[in-house]
Amino acid sequence: MTVNAVEKAFGGIRAVDRCSLDVAPKSITGLIGPNGAGKSTLFNIIAGLYRPDGGEIWFNGTQIDGLPPYDIVGLGLTKTWQIPHELRNLTVLENVVLAAKGNSGEHLLNLFFRPRAVKQDEKQWRLRAREILKLTQLDNLANEHARTLSGGQKKLLELSRALMSDPTLVLLDEPVAGVNPALTGSLMDLIERLRREGRTFFLIEHDMNVVMNRCDRVIVMHQGRKLAEGPPATVKTDPTVIESYLGG
Amino acid sequence: MTAAAPKKGPAVEPGGFPLNEFIVFSLIGGIVVIGIISAVIAGATPKGILTNLGFYVSVAIIFSVLALGFNLQWGYTGLFNAGIAGFYLIGAYVAAIAITSPAPPIVVGDVVVYPGHLGGFSLPLVVGVLLAMVAAGGAAAVVALPALRLRADYLAIATLALAVTLQIVTRNAQNITGGAIGITSVPPPILFQGTDASFLNAITMVGIGGFVLFALLVILQFMSESPWGRVLRAVREDEEATMALGKNTFSYKLQAFALGGALMGLAGALYAVTLGYLSPESSFAPAVTFSVWVMVIVGGSGNNRGAFVGAFLIYGMEWLSVQVRDQAASGLAANYLLMSVLFIALGVGALLAVLAVQFVGRRVLDRRRAWLLIAAILGAFGAAPAALGALPIGWCFALFVLLFGFAFVVDRAKKSRRARAGIYAAATLYGVGWAFILLQQLAPNAVADSFFYIRLMIIGALLILLIIFRPEGILREKKRVLR
Repeated sequence: MTVNAVEKAFGGIRAVDRCSLDVAPKSITGLIGPNGAGKSTLFNIIAGLYRPDGGEIWFNGTQIDGLPPYDIVGLGLTKTWQIPHELRNLTVLENVVLAAKGNSGEHLLNLFFRPRAVKQDEKQWRLRAREILKLTQLDNLANEHARTLSGGQKKLLELSRALMSDPTLVLLDEPVAGVNPALTGSLMDLIERLRREGRTFFLIEHDMNVVMNRCDRVIVMHQGRKLAEGPPATVKTDPTVIESYLGG
Repeated sequence: MTAAAPKKGPAVEPGGFPLNEFIVFSLIGGIVVIGIISAVIAGATPKGILTNLGFYVSVAIIFSVLALGFNLQWGYTGLFNAGIAGFYLIGAYVAAIAITSPAPPIVVGDVVVYPGHLGGFSLPLVVGVLLAMVAAGGAAAVVALPALRLRADYLAIATLALAVTLQIVTRNAQNITGGAIGITSVPPPILFQGTDASFLNAITMVGIGGFVLFALLVILQFMSESPWGRVLRAVREDEEATMALGKNTFSYKLQAFALGGALMGLAGALYAVTLGYLSPESSFAPAVTFSVWVMVIVGGSGNNRGAFVGAFLIYGMEWLSVQVRDQAASGLAANYLLMSVLFIALGVGALLAVLAVQFVGRRVLDRRRAWLLIAAILGAFGAAPAALGALPIGWCFALFVLLFGFAFVVDRAKKSRRARAGIYAAATLYGVGWAFILLQQLAPNAVADSFFYIRLMIIGALLILLIIFRPEGILREKKRVLR
């Protein structure tokens, strides 16, 4: 995926300022930077939730800037939210099943004209959703309302939904914030395994353990622009990064 | 009392006794019973009583269809329609114009007695109904198309504007709609002759309406509990998140809104054939929209049972107030002494019952059932003054009972503070009941005339109480447990 000179301003604030970066396929790329650097805004632009003021975004040879979010998901690019956007009065399982792509029962006409296919599809997606919930250790909460989950569990639900759409690139906005350390480890193991299966992860994270030990490359953003880029070890010692973000 | 009842009051397991359904259906049953009693007091024949009841049921069915349409839009998808009356009007007029026979203007000398109306195509009823649904659904889609892309409030504004405009247009576009006189003589589904015509017609309408409502409930249940309906509920919860999960939320909103509009059109068509005439003044006033809101809120949004139960309940109160005013009130307005005695007896009885349950009943009966029993006994007594024509007292008393129900039965989990609030409110109502008795002694006509109007206040009070005690409506949306 390539982001080329993307800009976005809110009023007088240039949240993203001609930012350009690349995410290599089948990598785990970290995006770090101080609060207000424009990281989440950039994610929202890539996912199609905000329309950029300028610049281009290419994904797998398709220009995706300006496309609506659901088309971008259709191309295999999914994002999770920093503040969980769980569908409160749906159950955990419903939340995850909903994220499936191409569930025939979601088309009104299929309900009446292809009832058998609808039943088959739904059954298969429910099984898939349960598998994913096992991976994220939410399977025992499958039939609880999503609003009853704790903050960390909501993060896991975000990840479960993202995986359900079978994406090639996942944008994770602080995936382990609020998740306990043991689970953080197994979550990142899961992400590494999925990467070996051919998926790409692009993640915002403030947990330096995760960023330094698990990412192949790290991109640093500051004031809406890319400040530095490289393997974690290089970035860690970059004086400009230390000054603006990591601190002495 | 019953030996089978558990000794101590363990919380009855959820999914055991369907208490909410019990309350709702007893209330609707109570409305029917009081209505029948009023008619009996007024000396109606059995056929007359049935005709009247048939009218209640068929209009309640029409409101149910409206409520189901609104529930699809708002309860499931979160789209607020402030112009229900407008889509209802479209359906009614389209159906009426399609199925009536030609109606030329009537001119006597130089005076236009009746301006006539468009068409008079004499089409079959089924065609008229389908046209009504297509027209109303199409109008809903056209209004929604621009408004759905904007913030939620704009949809409400656009629909409200449509409803108001349509009402004015129907009143003034005389050659098309018959103006203020409207469309008269919409043919009934089957034309009956003779003395029993109105009775047979009422029964036919109940049959047709019942069939339509049943079919709708089955189809809507199938649709709204399908994966498609799940996307609608997701849109209601968080549209942005649903979009980020790959759903074209705009398309779903449009589908839900247009289908809801089509249902409102269907309700309009049913209204045209049930009443047999149309005029824009009262039938399609904004109040219709508000009534449907109340029905869906009271019944419980986000589930189809709630919408239809709410319609029977709220329209039931409306029907009953007319029923009692026209029938029972005239008959027995004089018996206020009896009423006063009854009311005192009821108050004392209620107090004793409260004490009994508080100190004794707990050991004999499961607490919830004990309260239910008391509510049932008091409710039965409450029916008496209402049936005797002292309607305000009856209503106050019914609410008094209802409040105890809410305070102790429904809200048992966190009973302390709300229960106390319930008792205070009940006591206030008891006082209001007394005030009515006194007022009746001082100015007999004032009460008889005013109680008809008071019904709206009572519905409003009921709504406020409901919002306090049970914001999700009487029949709440259930959790969908997937296997």
